[in-house]
Amino acid sequence: MTDLTPITALGGTAPRVLGAARLTLSERPELALASLALGRGAEPPAPEGLALPGPGGLSVQGALAAFWTGPDQWMVEGADLAETDFAARLQQAAPGAAVTEQTDGWACFEIAGEAAQIEALAERLVNLPRDAYAPGRASRTALHHMGVFLLRRSPDRLAVWGMRSAAGSLWHALSDTMARMEALHDS
Amino acid sequence: MLIPHPLLGLRDAQEFTYLGDAALIGRPAPEAGEAAFCDYVFLRDNPAGIHRELWFHEQGDRSWLVVTRNTLTHEILGAELATDVARRSA
Repeated sequence: MTDLTPITALGGTAPRVLGAARLTLSERPELALASLALGRGAEPPAPEGLALPGPGGLSVQGALAAFWTGPDQWMVEGADLAETDFAARLQQAAPGAAVTEQTDGWACFEIAGEAAQIEALAERLVNLPRDAYAPGRASRTALHHMGVFLLRRSPDRLAVWGMRSAAGSLWHALSDTMARMEALHDS
Repeated sequence: MLIPHPLLGLRDAQEFTYLGDAALIGRPAPEAGEAAFCDYVFLRDNPAGIHRELWFHEQGDRSWLVVTRNTLTHEILGAELATDVARRSA
């Protein structure tokens, strides 16, 4: 049997982490992702007790988290489930909904640090009103001409989901802006 | 320019792409004849003033909006989901 080496979106055998004085940026390859869409007029399901949020919302229940991506459409995250058949598990929990596996099409990077630092970084990265990345909110927007999802999981954590094929560019955009902010503080 | 998205609030116009006259929602019935389709495909009003037009939230939630805009001042007077407009006129 061929001996294959699993690699992350950035090409490493372990998730990349960049620690700076005020913020930490890390790759999150263990997160699974699947999209969930409803037919017209269908009642939203509650897979494994997870309440699907309204526009701009983010909700968490156990290992699952969901964020709104459009009318009657959501993305559902599975913590530590990237190496399982996540879409099958979600489909079972939401019969009748259209569920599609997304894990390997996307890469997630997470920024941790003080709330004020995270907000200062977000201000420099995207052109959104502040409440679009307030804690508990999720938004899709453009970052360096790439479509990304911003998820403010908590005051001290911001996750960015981007295209896996552009993971290097996204990491560059995030780490560069972080480095400039740090330089600004130190000057 | 900011577009007041009915679900997401004010969003930068750069997140959107522009299609044109919102009259495109009212496609003629298949049996309406060639003349009606010729008008639908090729003829547009070009008003200096209030204009209703279709915008696509490409870098956002990918919904189509009907935006009412003043073409003289670029003032945006309102926006609603194109699905709501289409269902209302159906």
